Amino acid sequence: MKRSKRFEVLEQRPIHKDGFVKEWIDEGFIAMESPNDPKPSIKIEDGVITELDGKKREDFDLIDFYIADYGIEKDNAKKVLAMDSVQLANMLCDPNVPRSKIVDLTTSMTPAKIVEVVSQMNVVEMMMAMQKMHPRRRPATQSHVTNLRDNPVQIAADAAEGAFRGFAEQETTVAVARYAPFNAISILVGSQVGRPGVLTQCSVEEAAELDLGMRGFTSYAETISVYGTEPVFTDGDDTPWSKGFLASCYASRGLKMRFTSGAGSEVMMGYAEGKSMLYLESRCIFITKASGVQGLQNGAVSCIGIPGSVPTGIREVLAENLICVMLDLEVASGNDQAFSHSDMRRTEKLMCQFLPGTDIISCGYSAVPNYDNMFAGSNTDIEDVDDYLVFQRDLKVDGGLRPVTEEDTIKVRNKAARAIQAIFDDLGLPKITDEEVEAATYAHGSKDMPARNLVEDMKAAQELLNRNITGVDLVKALAKAGFRDVAENMLNMLKQRVAGDFLQTSAIFDEKFNVISAVNDCNDYMGPGTGYRLEGEEWEKVKNISMAIDPRSV
Amino acid sequence: MSELNVNEELLRAIIRDVLKEMPTDDSAVTFKETLNDTQSQAVATETKAPAVAKQVDWFKHAGVAKPGTSKDEVVVAVAPGFAEFMTENLTGISHRDILRQVIAGIEEEGLKARVMKVYRTADVSFVGAEGDKLSGSGICVGIQSKGTTIIHQKDLAPLSNLELFPQAPVISLDTYRAIGKNAAKYAKGESPDPVPTVSDQMARVAYQALSALMHIKETKNVVIGKPAEEIIVDFATKE
Amino acid sequence: MAELDELVKKIVAEMGNKPAPVSQPTETHTDSENEEPMGVSDYPLYTQHPELVKSPSGKSLEEITLDNVMSGNINSQDLRITPDTLRRQGEIAEASGRAALKQNFARAAELTAIPDERLLEIYESLRPYRSTKAELVGIAEELETKYNAHINGKFIREAAQYYEVRKKLKGDN
Repeated sequence: MKRSKRFEVLEQRPIHKDGFVKEWIDEGFIAMESPNDPKPSIKIEDGVITELDGKKREDFDLIDFYIADYGIEKDNAKKVLAMDSVQLANMLCDPNVPRSKIVDLTTSMTPAKIVEVVSQMNVVEMMMAMQKMHPRRRPATQSHVTNLRDNPVQIAADAAEGAFRGFAEQETTVAVARYAPFNAISILVGSQVGRPGVLTQCSVEEAAELDLGMRGFTSYAETISVYGTEPVFTDGDDTPWSKGFLASCYASRGLKMRFTSGAGSEVMMGYAEGKSMLYLESRCIFITKASGVQGLQNGAVSCIGIPGSVPTGIREVLAENLICVMLDLEVASGNDQAFSHSDMRRTEKLMCQFLPGTDIISCGYSAVPNYDNMFAGSNTDIEDVDDYLVFQRDLKVDGGLRPVTEEDTIKVRNKAARAIQAIFDDLGLPKITDEEVEAATYAHGSKDMPARNLVEDMKAAQELLNRNITGVDLVKALAKAGFRDVAENMLNMLKQRVAGDFLQTSAIFDEKFNVISAVNDCNDYMGPGTGYRLEGEEWEKVKNISMAIDPRSV
Repeated sequence: MSELNVNEELLRAIIRDVLKEMPTDDSAVTFKETLNDTQSQAVATETKAPAVAKQVDWFKHAGVAKPGTSKDEVVVAVAPGFAEFMTENLTGISHRDILRQVIAGIEEEGLKARVMKVYRTADVSFVGAEGDKLSGSGICVGIQSKGTTIIHQKDLAPLSNLELFPQAPVISLDTYRAIGKNAAKYAKGESPDPVPTVSDQMARVAYQALSALMHIKETKNVVIGKPAEEIIVDFATKE
Repeated sequence: MAELDELVKKIVAEMGNKPAPVSQPTETHTDSENEEPMGVSDYPLYTQHPELVKSPSGKSLEEITLDNVMSGNINSQDLRITPDTLRRQGEIAEASGRAALKQNFARAAELTAIPDERLLEIYESLRPYRSTKAELVGIAEELETKYNAHINGKFIREAAQYYEVRKKLKGDN
């Protein structure tokens, strides 16, 4: 065939590099409405659920037992299941129906029923429902702070900048697992320099992650994974009971936590049982609810390439975020994984959560260049940040970030690098040189950083655990070195564990450590003029991007 | 690495393969939930591996793998589909070459490599965690058919690791050799510099769907309750 | 607020009627047995009720200062949550319509007494293929007798029973 020049040009477009797959129902390569998905049903005898979504109790797997025993408000269940799903979907996008009325109904649904309800909606209707249903009124967002070589000075400086730019939560992980204690400390210190009250976490193996939290090196946890089929749950090395217990362990130490799940993980791990991605994810969300956990990170997260490859997959991702908030759980709504070569397509994805607002829009946005992102790259990275600020300004939408000046940013980066230098010095950890502090102050990524002795660092990081160093030792080290303000912030963060206010749904802190959660900042959206509005001082900040010229100066 | 592309032909070939291997009675692979006897069902579904293992001359079974006693051995444990149901990793590097490089890396450090195939799981961490218990040195390199690799040490939590190489598309043969070398160093009680991590955010974009398909194929070969088997590799034999 | 009160009433009623596959928290009040349950307006405790928030050693929030940390009067054991505070947060969660959270906090309140290391070990034992049924039941007994942790004890017995049915006990893989 003689080639069309037009088609040849089109083939060179980035979108052609993305992976697309036709539906393959038997292996779960289907976003929504698989013919194998069960029909909603419930039977309750003597207060015990004996049938759930077409399955009898004697056929239940661990997930069914757990959801049936803990995850459904039984009193209204029969009535709600009998209601028309189209009518329920209508109530969700109708601004006149208050959030609390909806939650009464949704928490009595079964996994299959809630899927049937959201399946009635198109993406705009889902966004309308999201705008009303996300539990905390004020939207926020989260970052990733990592680098290829686990360089602690760079993590501290990038964390400071991220906090300064407005991320309410920041997450790190490791290139090499043994580095974890250093990464956790670095992001914690850096964040408290950049903006007091920012929550930090370090994503590692489940038991190790809890251990870091107990020591006071992190303030919350998020990567506590749950899965929608029993064999995948087992491959994830947990059961609903072990995860439920883990949830209580976190609360018992005064630590905020949320679970993680997302479409595609069951396909990725090979046991989707022929069900649609949304149905399996619905089970994960019910497991979260059943555990009494306050929130969930979902929206395909690291498996976004799977729903992203099949028809209506990106709509499915929004649908699972929506189910999460319908069950009155904090949602950290994905947008945390590179999934497309096309700038247009990754913006398309982001808009689904950015426009209606969610509790945490991205979880997270890469606060470092993507080559340093050890979560295998995010949907947006630091090089996109000015675009993001313009989205906020163009549309008058609060995506959680604010413009900053170069001068101030350099200052906070430098202070964070010096603060972590002082801690390393006080605790006798491998020296951080002035040259490293200087490099971290001005660096864009790890390519701009001098190399460290990795072996020495890893050894010292493990010793730090054996020496039983805790958050209190970090506070002391900072105060001794003259960083009293940072020490105060770190202590305030630890002090919040005693009060436990940030265990409530959707909790974050402002810069004065005032807690903002679904309890004292409950989403009250009921149409125009209500709910969260970007206005006043915050809108002035958003307007003021560095690229804007002052017409009076021309 | 923007030229990374899902090889559509390969993708189709794998889908065809998996479909071919699906037994006609599909309750055997889909964990059907509607049967009454769920317990025996759960076992039955997973013990029935597809019967069509390829005879591979260079990769021979030598009975159930025994715990090693020699401190100078590193176990290389491969996932159920390796070499016999699939022959190449995600980017088309042959399983034979991968094993050859990992073993060469171990031997370069003066240690012995002992290869085994794990059946209980398709998960790379659990493959590593089963192998390290059988390893005289307590160190194991675990490798999935799609190429994802881990260095695991006895006593670590299964989902933890000494080093993990989660992005198969960026692992070259040189990297496989370096992984073998580092594993041997851990076995000798040294603390090597970790093999430099490469991250390519677009690799996942291009390969995630293919990766899922290969993993689905791997899970079809899982046999619950079946112990790991010792494998004799002979690179002198023809492929 | 009327709506809220109604909701609270409803949930309280629900809790009462429940045939309880999930047991009620056995609240171990060490102070103010007669105090009214906390409501939404009592939140955040940090600013609304600083007088009620104490560290495990009985220190008040006011005493948790940088100077006291530097002088060693406050250590890391003081920066932990108490069962009482978890109970109050549970009441606030319930008052804001989140009974499930309260249940989690009730389990957590029991776990505050268990040392970090033991807690990590118990979690490990609950993971698939780690424990026999007898071992899990043993842990449940330990929790009940040694730590008075009855909700958790029941939770783990239940896990043991379901793990047996679904083949997640030691040796099942």
